[in-house]
Amino acid sequence: MIRDPNVLRCKQTFWRAPLGDFRARARSAPFALGVAILFLSGLTRAEPLRLRGDAFAQTPSPTGLLILSGEDRVKPWISAEGLAWLGAGVGGETGAGDVLSLAVKLRDPTGHGELRVGRLMVTMGSIRPLQLDGASALGRTPWGSSLEAFGGAPVVPRFGERSYDWAVGGRLAQSLGEKAKLGVAYVHKRDRGDLAAEEVGADLAIAPTRTFDLAARTAYDLVSWGLVDALLSASLRFASLRLEAFATRRSPSRLLPATSLFSVLGDAPATRAGASVRWNAAPRLDLLGSGAVYVQDDRAGYDAFLRANLRTDDEGKGVLGLELRRQGVPQSGWTGIRATAVLPVLPRLRASTELELAAADHPDSRGAVWPWALVAMTYRASDRWDMALATEVASRPAVAREVVGLFRASYAWDR
Amino acid sequence: MNHKKHIVLFLCVLLGACAGILGIKPRNGERPFEHRAHVTKGVACTVCHEGIAKEVRTGPLHLPTTATCVSCHAKPHTQQSCGDCHGEKHQRQEVEIAKHALRFEHAKHVVASNGSCTKCHAKIGESRDVSLMPPMVSCFACHQHEKQFAARDCNGCHVDLPAEHVTPQDHLVHDGDFIREHGVRAAASPDLCATCHSERTCLSCHGVGTTPALPARLTFDQPRLSGLHRAGFLSRHAEESRNNPGLCTTCHAENTCRSCHEQQNVSAGGPTKRRSPHPSTWLNPTRGGDHGQAARLDPAGCAGCHGGAGEQLCIGCHKVGGPGGNPHGPGYTSRKDKQNDVPCRFCHRMGS
Repeated sequence: MIRDPNVLRCKQTFWRAPLGDFRARARSAPFALGVAILFLSGLTRAEPLRLRGDAFAQTPSPTGLLILSGEDRVKPWISAEGLAWLGAGVGGETGAGDVLSLAVKLRDPTGHGELRVGRLMVTMGSIRPLQLDGASALGRTPWGSSLEAFGGAPVVPRFGERSYDWAVGGRLAQSLGEKAKLGVAYVHKRDRGDLAAEEVGADLAIAPTRTFDLAARTAYDLVSWGLVDALLSASLRFASLRLEAFATRRSPSRLLPATSLFSVLGDAPATRAGASVRWNAAPRLDLLGSGAVYVQDDRAGYDAFLRANLRTDDEGKGVLGLELRRQGVPQSGWTGIRATAVLPVLPRLRASTELELAAADHPDSRGAVWPWALVAMTYRASDRWDMALATEVASRPAVAREVVGLFRASYAWDR
Repeated sequence: MNHKKHIVLFLCVLLGACAGILGIKPRNGERPFEHRAHVTKGVACTVCHEGIAKEVRTGPLHLPTTATCVSCHAKPHTQQSCGDCHGEKHQRQEVEIAKHALRFEHAKHVVASNGSCTKCHAKIGESRDVSLMPPMVSCFACHQHEKQFAARDCNGCHVDLPAEHVTPQDHLVHDGDFIREHGVRAAASPDLCATCHSERTCLSCHGVGTTPALPARLTFDQPRLSGLHRAGFLSRHAEESRNNPGLCTTCHAENTCRSCHEQQNVSAGGPTKRRSPHPSTWLNPTRGGDHGQAARLDPAGCAGCHGGAGEQLCIGCHKVGGPGGNPHGPGYTSRKDKQNDVPCRFCHRMGS
């Protein structure tokens, strides 16, 4: 199999429990179910089981991470995936570990229904992403309707225990051929038994022609009546040009759980609207520009950026990039420039570097310019092994000078 | 006028000089294989791709070797292997990926198409740098897959979509400012995203609290990947957060900021020095100060450090009858019971 080292690889699935409080992990039903399924996958397998391990280290505040991830489709009707990690020095903790995902998916091979169980991610239309220990089910009808439902306990990091935390919800959607899809969703969340969120929402995606498409979603707060957020994006696509218009409206206080004291301060929605253009100006040159205006209460501002990426070869192994960015918001505006380069040195050795200079409009006592630079070398020893080493240097508001060493080694098992 | 001419001339020369690096003038030494010439000479595909008519799911790639070429081209112009110059690497890679990632048997298709390969491989007739993989629309010309397509049942043909590195031909292409755009795009079609992406892809950002590290940190050697926390984000995070109120809350929970601020001593609760991140005008004992307006605009910013038990800091002044006054904004309503529900009862419960 050919692998592009520049494509984020998302293969895998089997994981070994991180050391530490094994019993706490074993209490988790998804854990037991996942291990059982993955064990069975070793006995009868339809597709190759793929695993990936990453080791990551960082100085000077030593941080070490070991990440194991995997994904497997045992049969057309069952698949599993997982990612677990074990670390030291993460977020100031001397020893830590957690499971990012561990889910088993049962699926009707004809696609009319599926069930996911375990530690999973729920995104259903207007329902914002939710990480749950629970289950999610989806049913589809031949006439394009679908019904999704989920329930479970919102994930508490490091296997923490909390009582009476739960969330339920669902979405009903209808497709109109391949041209449009409309959905309505509902979510109800409890935090230690107290009402944390109750929302209804709607989502829409239409693509009437090959060159035009539009997507929108909105959610309404049923606890303290009002719009939580609304997002819209419409794009026109031509051979080498893409134009997009977008608008968002967010009520920050309604995005917080209703159990937070900061959710009661009233509504001050932030609205932004703008447009972006992507132009493939030459076979190896991509230009991207974006600009938006922003209004919240009596504050108004704008932001804009322009990015150019030039591939130094037809395969895109080497890339030079330059980005200019400006956020012109009163009291918190800043201007930045960022340059990047990825250059293949030898067939298996690649150098990359990144430099950023940012200057705040009101730096106060935080320094006039915040420079940041990184130089990295990546060695791809084989299709399975790759290693990267980097030095990062920065001067930022909290630290005048900082030098950090970074190392990553990755191994992929394919059978 | 002369001046303008010079500028135009200069730009033309510049464009010509940069034609190679911009990819306008190909510098690739590889030559496309002359499929068209062979087809017009009447050479059947199976002469070079020997055995392909009996090809099943597993087995060799059936690409011609030098021995195949010299069976006709008896006097090769060089001693090198023909494949070193004729034919392009990416076309060979496509064949290898297809073999691995697709359920497909040429044997069945050659019979069904009466041996006419160009029915599917229409681009064979073009002797230039093209992909010879038939587009999916060619498959749909014979195979009716509407139901499978609607049900996202790709497994019938695609063994491993992520390994194919295919991207949609239209819509949903991940270009432009996709980090900003993906949320609204994925809302109506999460199952479409799932045809290529696993849950971990989403959770690597949205599973905050259980992520081992930010994706940008783990992929430090890939600067061209865009992301919200790229490069010197740590320096400018205060500005970025204020300029896009609520955005951080879409991923981060309450108290996200506190542990880091305490470590960096940018907190009233720092272990050694205590340095407040707030300006001197933040709190005024008689007039309130700037904190009220700032909290209303970006309450998530406050919750980042003062969430949970830290709320006591506000309750002390803003509880009913307290010196801080009513913190609710104009028109605030809630269906919560202010005597019994959280957080209302913290300020409203009598005797608290």
